[in-house]
Amino acid sequence: MDLSLTLNTLMLLTLATLSTPILFPLLSNNLKNTPSTITNTVKTSFLISLVPMTIYIYSGTESLIFLWEWKYIMNFKIPISLKMDFYSLTFFPIALFVSWSILQFATWYMASDPYITKFFTYLLFFLIAMLILITANNLFVLFIGWEGVGIMSFLLISWWHGRAEANTAALQAVLYNRVGDIGLILCMAWLASATNTWEIQQLPSPSQTPTLPLLGLILAATGKSAQFGLHPWLPAAMEGPTPVSALLHSSTMVVAGVFLLIRTHPLLNNNQTALSLCLCLGALSTLFAATCALTQNDIKKIIAFSTSSQLGLMMVTIGLNLPELAFLHISTHAFFKAMLFLCSGSIIHSLNGEQDIRKMGGLQKMLPTTTACLTIGNLALMGIPFLAGFYSKDQIIECLNTSYLNTWALILTLLATSFTAVYTIRMTTLVQTGFVRIPPLTPMNENNPAVTSPITRLALGSILAGFLITSYITPVKTPPTTMPLSIKMTALVVTALGIALALEISKMTQTLILTKQTPFSNFSTSLGYFNPLTHRPSMTNLLSGGQNIASHLIDLSWYKMLGPEGLAHLQRAASKTATTLHPGLTKAYLGSFALSIIIILMSMY
Amino acid sequence: MGAHLGRRYLWDAEAEPDPLHMPSFPAHLGMPARQPRVMVASSSQLSDARVPLEQRDFCGHHLLRLLRCQRDNFPVPWGCHALRHAWDSCQHEE
Repeated sequence: MDLSLTLNTLMLLTLATLSTPILFPLLSNNLKNTPSTITNTVKTSFLISLVPMTIYIYSGTESLIFLWEWKYIMNFKIPISLKMDFYSLTFFPIALFVSWSILQFATWYMASDPYITKFFTYLLFFLIAMLILITANNLFVLFIGWEGVGIMSFLLISWWHGRAEANTAALQAVLYNRVGDIGLILCMAWLASATNTWEIQQLPSPSQTPTLPLLGLILAATGKSAQFGLHPWLPAAMEGPTPVSALLHSSTMVVAGVFLLIRTHPLLNNNQTALSLCLCLGALSTLFAATCALTQNDIKKIIAFSTSSQLGLMMVTIGLNLPELAFLHISTHAFFKAMLFLCSGSIIHSLNGEQDIRKMGGLQKMLPTTTACLTIGNLALMGIPFLAGFYSKDQIIECLNTSYLNTWALILTLLATSFTAVYTIRMTTLVQTGFVRIPPLTPMNENNPAVTSPITRLALGSILAGFLITSYITPVKTPPTTMPLSIKMTALVVTALGIALALEISKMTQTLILTKQTPFSNFSTSLGYFNPLTHRPSMTNLLSGGQNIASHLIDLSWYKMLGPEGLAHLQRAASKTATTLHPGLTKAYLGSFALSIIIILMSMY
Repeated sequence: MGAHLGRRYLWDAEAEPDPLHMPSFPAHLGMPARQPRVMVASSSQLSDARVPLEQRDFCGHHLLRLLRCQRDNFPVPWGCHALRHAWDSCQHEE
């Protein structure tokens, strides 16, 4: 049996199944979508996508689907091609599984929304754009997916568009992503001019690639994956509904930047500048985000900063020249991060919209399933041995420890790992344990299977995903096996220190002493002063610079001083002098006649 | 500068020698007794198995056995521990 044909057919069938809720209502008068039909469609697609993944694991079959060629100009053709390799075949079922769970949860979470079907349709559009991005073999198709996920992110963050903060947050997301797009377009322009193709297969070798397009790619990843410098949109994106945060801003959209770097890794392979930049940027992002998460009180913001920190860790892995390990972390991270968001959504709804962890407590007895899964997700996030996060995170830290690269990046990453443990334990203790600080009457309910089954399914994934992926896939680059015991245990020791610190500090909060404001706590609470330092000055400088160019440079200089008015000014001096020669007196004119005649007579002789 | 600098000063010198007293070996140390390494798996076998280029090294034969065992034991991931360990040990020795 031709396995590659089966592979191609089933992958295209997955994509086609996902587009049926969009196409069929357009073609028929009676057919209307409902949230449950869309959820079932995604579930069906997930089940179909398991078969190509199994075929890949069994036989290693990869394939390339060539759909159409856009003959743009004579010598630049853009093929619309999809690549079914390890990354796309493995990420499809993971993305669809997580999306199915999130959509099922959203049937409960958004049940009171009047436009719930539109919400689900938006999520479906997003999912299709994301899957196009994943399977793209061509930077053009990838760009279509890239922009698609950006637009859907904008629409979904501003879902409750009556809220001014939601609109601001959506604008922030779009603008920061746009800055990153500049980098991607720069790289595409260089590729089109230097190599005349946008295919991933035909990327030039790293020795022939100048650093500038690679910096463009890194800028694109910085914008999309919220690395330091272009990160404020990710915490602001928590204004959107929780299913949006779970799907877009934790598991799928934000990893698109890192995924771009994984796909174009052959270009980055030995370029030390680009790899060092990835390493240092990732280390800085992971520490900065972990620092900001330490003093957040909104449960969704804590998880958002945690996402930003893990994305920094993925960038560090790219900087270590290990794209498969970064992909492993993307896959395991998708499970537990989506689950953390769903648990937070369940808690928020059960407490009637309360998102502040200082007003939660003792929920372990009241929401047992949710809090149990929250604990599992937090443990997986910290990298506790043999849960999903351990397989990827521990290996990343081992590789970082044993590599001959930047010690500064190593220290930052280890510090961020311990901070991860600190804010995770803080969240757990404040939300689940301790005194109950919730209002007495709350609509607390987790009887609904639409709540518990997605969360438990993702919990199962968080426990098993790492084990399953590492059992079935042999690593392409040999992980380091020689290291002293202390290096091997570094991640675990650092996490344990973080846990101990967090437990100690949380005991201090029970003695009700008012905490002093130190510069460090202020830095963390105000998110590093990044937003006020950058948002207003950059906008005012840009706009005032534009105004100066338009009014001073163009209007004043070109039109006035150097243009018509300047000419007129020059003429005025000459004409002032010349006016004295025309006084209106006959004697003066006779004198000028006489002067001209004398000059002519003298020139004749 | 690198994690290895810390190891050189703080831990045993077997893995990392003291940078102030770096050892130097004669270039042909043990040469008659040392045999050149031989690839056990042939290049055609490795290319038939579509092994990634980075893994076509002197441990390729262990990898081929492991891949064959994984294919034979397919849905069960725990059938090939011994071969996986053999491959890992060979990589470690590498």
